Parts: sequence; structure tokens; C-alpha cells
Amino acid sequence: MEETLSSGGPETVSSRVEGGVAIIYAGGYLNKINGERTKRECRDRLQNGCRALVINFSDTEIVNSIGVSILLGVIDAAEEREARLCFCNVNNHTAQLFLMLGLARHVYLAPTEEAALVWLNAANAAAPPVISTTPTQRH
Amino acid sequence: MLPETHNAARKSVLSRIAPEDFTGRDEALNRITALASNAENTRGIIVLAAPSSGATELLRQGYDKLFHQPETDVAPVYFNSFEADGDAETAARRFLHTFLLQTTAYVRRNPALIHTQPTLADLTEMLPVTDELWIRRLIEKYERVRAGSDEEAMVRLCLSAPGEAAATGRNTVLLFDDAHLVEDLGGRVSLSAELGQMLARSGSAFVLSGLRRRSLDVLSYPETQATDVSILHLENLDDEAARSLIEKLSRRLSVELNDATRDLLVQQFSGNPLFITAVVHAARRSDQPLTSFLSCQKAYVDDLMGGRINRRFDSRLARVAPSPVTRRTLLRLLHESAMGADGQSPLESWQKRLSLTPDELQNLLGGLHGLELASRAANFVKVSDEPVWRDYLRAQYKTEVAGEPRARVVAEILLDALKRAPGTLERHYRRKSALALRPLLERFNWQRVPASLLQYERFNQAYAGREAGEVANELAAEVDLARLPQIVHTATAASYYPTADFICDEDQYIVAHGFDGDSYTEAGEVVWIAVMMGGEKAAGRGVIELWHERLMNLARRSGFKRIRVWLIAAGGFTPEAIEFLREKDVYASNKLQIESLASRLDAEVQNSISVESSSDEFEIVIPMGGDSELIAANAVEMIARRINFPPEAINQIKTALIEACINAEEHSFSPDRKIYQRFRLESDKLVITVSSRGVRLPVNSSNGELGNQAQGDKPAQNSSSERRGWGLKLIRSLMDEVEFERVDDGTRLRMTKFLRPSE
Repeated sequence: MEETLSSGGPETVSSRVEGGVAIIYAGGYLNKINGERTKRECRDRLQNGCRALVINFSDTEIVNSIGVSILLGVIDAAEEREARLCFCNVNNHTAQLFLMLGLARHVYLAPTEEAALVWLNAANAAAPPVISTTPTQRH
Repeated sequence: MLPETHNAARKSVLSRIAPEDFTGRDEALNRITALASNAENTRGIIVLAAPSSGATELLRQGYDKLFHQPETDVAPVYFNSFEADGDAETAARRFLHTFLLQTTAYVRRNPALIHTQPTLADLTEMLPVTDELWIRRLIEKYERVRAGSDEEAMVRLCLSAPGEAAATGRNTVLLFDDAHLVEDLGGRVSLSAELGQMLARSGSAFVLSGLRRRSLDVLSYPETQATDVSILHLENLDDEAARSLIEKLSRRLSVELNDATRDLLVQQFSGNPLFITAVVHAARRSDQPLTSFLSCQKAYVDDLMGGRINRRFDSRLARVAPSPVTRRTLLRLLHESAMGADGQSPLESWQKRLSLTPDELQNLLGGLHGLELASRAANFVKVSDEPVWRDYLRAQYKTEVAGEPRARVVAEILLDALKRAPGTLERHYRRKSALALRPLLERFNWQRVPASLLQYERFNQAYAGREAGEVANELAAEVDLARLPQIVHTATAASYYPTADFICDEDQYIVAHGFDGDSYTEAGEVVWIAVMMGGEKAAGRGVIELWHERLMNLARRSGFKRIRVWLIAAGGFTPEAIEFLREKDVYASNKLQIESLASRLDAEVQNSISVESSSDEFEIVIPMGGDSELIAANAVEMIARRINFPPEAINQIKTALIEACINAEEHSFSPDRKIYQRFRLESDKLVITVSSRGVRLPVNSSNGELGNQAQGDKPAQNSSSERRGWGLKLIRSLMDEVEFERVDDGTRLRMTKFLRPSE
């Protein structure tokens, strides 16, 4: 298993790669700074050959609208590279936010990281990507 | 040497009224006496007094209080009667003498000294040891300068006394009465300028009191020093204080009185302490009670013809026109103008008939204006419509100019005064029971109210015959709200159109200038013309057509561009009248609508007042940037928990607050880079106000929206305006009520989250 940390601690963004899937851990507060870090991490992983992304929100307590708009940029970047994208461990409130702002229409929200990886593997077998409008719940 | 007194604290020094009888001026008096301790960080007070409002007695009472206040050890010095000095040097010399005498009297605690007239040489014999050195030095300098006959040097030396005293630790409070009269002093030196310089330099506390229309023009206090000077406006007494004055005075003078005559005198003289006091004294002189309208008017006319009131107006006219010939012509002109249309006459006829030079005429008109007897308006001179002044003019003209028998004049004035008396009280009672239109308009302040409160037809259909409580509940639930303007200026229609006051009570016919929407723009300017029509019956079409025409005429004559007509009839409107209101798109309300509106606006005011004192109110100011919005979010979480908001609602509130902070940060050029937040907890809701200074958000005035982002659209990442749309969308989705308010220097966002019953 390959694991690289971009920076330490839940307030920052970190990532690792598992079986060609990059797993990015968003920080505790997904604002402009952490949003940009997340986006950069995703872009770097895609450039390094990853074909799928999981953004894990387990440490993320709050997402603001700037963070959401940056996540939309991540979705665009993934689409451009024909990579699959999945969010996981999104708390209930953030999931509602994604739903409210239409983000959930563009990305699958998995309940756990494992479920996300399972979904990506299954999806790899049957393109095109699946889009869910039902938010999954962590809490 | 005069004997020292040990019980001076209980004696009057300069005041003419016993302290317990000096009514309605506690606050003003406290401000003056606070000068001794610099308790209010004010070194000087400029008293702008209405004529005969009692400024002289206020200063004298202030003097006495300071004199008997040994703990501050500040000597009061009262100085007046500039007009008797003739020139600046004489006034300055008298000032020096007064200053030394009163300071000595204070230091020796010997008030009797003040009423003596010792020479400077006599004064040196009675100097207190503590102050002997500086006073002797000053008197020596005075003698030297006197030998040199340099007017300017003499004025400056005399005025240097407070500074010299302060330099040796003797602090003083200088009380200048009728200070506007320095303008009339002759001589090469401007005492006004010298006085201003002295006050700025000496460090002494001071009060400059004068007529409100003249003082600020005349008194020159250096602007650079003006931050430590405050203004005190002295008006007539309010009703309560005037009633108290009459009661105390009549008790002291043993003049019998009853409630009706007491109220009559208060209203007849609009709370003017001089007129009130004069009439009670007149009753005392003639040993008559004040228990009927007739006895009150007899005492009044008696005083008007030859008592205090007469002397007061006589002396004022003599001041304005010292020459008897000019005064006689002036009396004629004033009387004729008062009798003319709108109480005015062309300036040209004043020029012709007074035979004065332009400067002399200017001075005369300036004097009348300052004393509030008459004013120049464009090419006319308008005589004040104050009733006592008008009675005096009439009486003087008839006796002094027209040569009518005095008995006939007395009879005429008495008959007229008696005829007016019941109307005066009736008007007062009516005003007391009526809803005050002006304050109501002034409270509008861009508030939203149920639209039906301004639309009689709709209100009548919905609520006719219903209980008031029921109506109030349903009004609270109305969703169609009208946004009121912010009213910035109100005046009676008579101020624009003098004959308007003959139509109805002045206070019931109001012109209000304001702004619609949220901002001060030309497009938002609006003039509300509101009239409260008399009578309890429903107003018919004929009546309101007539009123509508009057109001439109007023608007046309005054050049108002955008107007809103608001007709108010206590008993509502007939069906025919309603049809007319609809045709003309006129706002109309009955008594219940007005009361509901008033209570609703009151509630808003009450809310804002309770905000200040509520223990469930929290404020937090955070710097912009550095994720400080998280601190605010954590704070609001703690606050929301106090009334048991569920976790889901708390998360929604936190997110909304974070978005509001981001908005404030991203879209203002805040000079202080701060975000001000206020959280108010009520039993069923949390109200959050977020504001910042700087550039205002481009609020769509029609609905308060700031733009929108279609759901699910992916905005360009760097488009802040689109992101803002998202943030605001979130706020609106997460909170129950969201309102943007433009304020003078920024934007204020108010959002409310209700505690649901199930929560």
C-alpha cells in the first residue's frame, strides 16, 4: 500500500493511493484554503496516473460555499480526465448542503471509504459513471 | 470689612426663585454645576435659549448651587448686562471688577459682598490671604495699563483675570448671561473675539448663554477648541413642568387655582415660564383667585397692559428701535403686517416708511429676528404669530399709535382672550386624545407592515366588525407586507402653505419627506402628504375629493415630484369614497388601522430598545480573515443551545452565519476589517444580525435579493459574484427569515431562525 501525506493533521489535506485510486482527506473546515489544497491534491494525483478519486470527508465538520464551488472545479477536472470521483464519509449536514446546491447530482456520496472503493471498482466494470441524488449519511 | 456669614449655604445669592420652586430645569442645572467637577468632560456650555425661557434664572440658580458647593472649591462668576456698558472697554473693566468681587465673596464665603459696590481699592482691603498675591498683582497691572489709554491692552488685561486666577490654582466657572449682546457693544475692539480667545486660553469652565437665533452668529469660540464645548437648548417648559410651576407659584403666593385654569394657562402660554409667572403675580397683585377662565384672562390682560409682560415687550422693542419715532413707526408696521395676509408685509414698505439706512434696517430686522418677534422671508417681513406678542402689538398700537381709549382696548383684548380660551383647551384635549401623526411617520424607518393597514377597502373587507385582539392576531399573520419609506423630515402643511392651518389642526396635516427602498437616491425620494380628517363618521366622497384636491394643490405649489397621499378618517370611508380612493390610488386608513400601525411600529421600537437591555443578547466582533468566522460559528452554537435548538438547526445556523461572514468579508471595502454580530435570543427564535462597514452589497431593492445561482449549475471557480449567489442561496435556505438592510455605511443582514414547536 502506497501512502503519502501532503501535510499532517485533520485541519490540513492529506492523501494516499490505493490500487490506482487516490484517496484525499479533506481538512476539518473546507473553506477556500483547504478547498484549494484538496483541488491541488486531486490534480496532482490525476497527473500522476490515478484514474479514480475518493474524497474522504471524515474529518470535515464544516463546508462553506467557497469550498463547494471548488469541489465543483474538482468534479470538472475529473470529468476532463475521464476519471471517476466519489465522496465518502460526508456528514449529514454537509450532505444536505451538497444536495441543496446541486453538487450531489454530479458525484456519488458513499457512506464509507470502503463502500466508495467498492463502488468505484464496480463502476469501472460498468461505465458510464453512476450519479446518485440520494445523500449518504455518516452520522 | 463685611461680616462673614456661616449659614450662607441656605441663602439665595443671585437666584430670584427658591430652588424648590425652580421647575423643569433639573437636567440643565446639573449640566452647569457639573462644570465645576468636569464630570462630563465638558469645559464650556453654550446655552441657546428661546426668548423668555428662563435662561437668566437658570444661570443664577447655577451660580447659587456652585457658590454653596464647597467640595469642588470652584468660584462661580456671573456676568450680564453687556448692553449697559456701551463699549468693549467698559464691559471688560466691569468684568474685571465683577470677577474679583465675586471671587473674593466666594473665597470668603460671604455672599452679601456680591451686592456691595466696592472700588478696586476697597477690594484690596478685603482680599482673602489665599488669593491676595495674584489679585494685588492684577490690580497693579490694571492701574499701569489704565494710565496708557490703550483700549485693546485694557480689554485683554481685564479678560486675563480668569487665566491669572487659574495659574495660581483658583478655578472658576464663568457664567455669561445674555452673551449675544456683546454684538451691540461699540469701540474699536471686538469683545466677542477677545472673549472667545480668553475662554479658549484661560482653562476656566464657562457658560455662554444667549438667544438661540443670535448666539451662534455672535459668539466666537475658536473652532479648534470646540470639542470641549456642548450646546444646551433651552425651550419653554413641557406641560408637566409648566403645571408644576403654576401649582408651586400659586401655592407660594396664595393664589387659588383649579385644574382647568392651571391647564388653560399652560396651554395658553405654551409653557412659557415668564408669561405664566407674570399672570400668577398679576392675580396676586389684584388679590383675585385664578379659578375661572374670566379671572385668568383678567389677570393676563392686566399684565399685558401694564405688568411684566408689557415691560418685557416694551424693553425688547426699545432695544431694537431705540429712537421713539422709529419705534412708533415700527409698531405701526408690525401691527399692520400682523393684520395682513399671512401676517406679513413687503420689505419695500418697511424700507420706505422707516427711513433708515440699509445697515440700520438690517440691524432692526436682525434684532426682531433674534428676539423672535418677526423675520424676513425673501422680500417680506413676517410677524411672529405667538399669541401674547400679537395681543401686545394690538394693545400698544391701539393705545399708543391709534390713540384709542385704554378702557376700550382692555375690553376688546379681554373679550377676545376669553373667546379664545375654551378653544385653546379644547384643541389641547383633542391633541392629547388624537394619534400624533408626525411621530408616527418618523417611526416608519423602512419597516415592513401589513399592506392592509394602508388600504382601507381591504382592511374593511377583512376585519370589519371583528374584535381588536382578533384583528391584531390576523394582522400578524399577513404575508402581504408594505415597505414604508424612511422619513427624514416632517413639517406641518402650514409650514409649506400658510393658509393650510385654517383647514384643520396643524398637527393633523403633515408633509413628510423620505426615501423609498433602501438607499438615499434621487429615484427613491418620496413625499408623503398625510391628513387626519376630523369627525367620527365615515368620510364621504365629497369630503375626500376636496381633501385630495387640497393635497394635490399643496404638492403642485411646493414642487414635490413623487408623492404619496394618505387620508385618515377615524370612522373610515363610505363606499363612494372607497371608489374614489381606488381610482386615485390613495392610501387610506381608519382609526383602528392607525392604532394597529402605531402599535406595530411601537413593537419594533420596543424590540430595538429591549435589545439594548436584554440579558439574552450577545455581541461579538471578529476580524475579517483567518477563519475567524469559525469563532462566530462556535459562539452561535453555544447561544442556540440555550433555547434548545436541535443539532440539525444549529448546524444550519452555523453554516448560515459562516456564509454571512464570508459575504461581509468578500464584498465590502471595510475600513476597520471587522464583522459585527449580534445574537438575540427570544422564546421562540434566534435573531442574528451581521454587519460590516464599507461598500454596500448591490441589494435588489424590490425583493432584497443579491443575485442567484441556478441550482446545480457549476459556477466558474473564480467568479465571486456567482459564489456570493451560492452563499446567499444557502442563507435563505437555511434560515427562516432573511433581510438585507442598507445602512449609512455598509450593509446589515438580519436572519432569523424559529424554534419549531416539535423542536
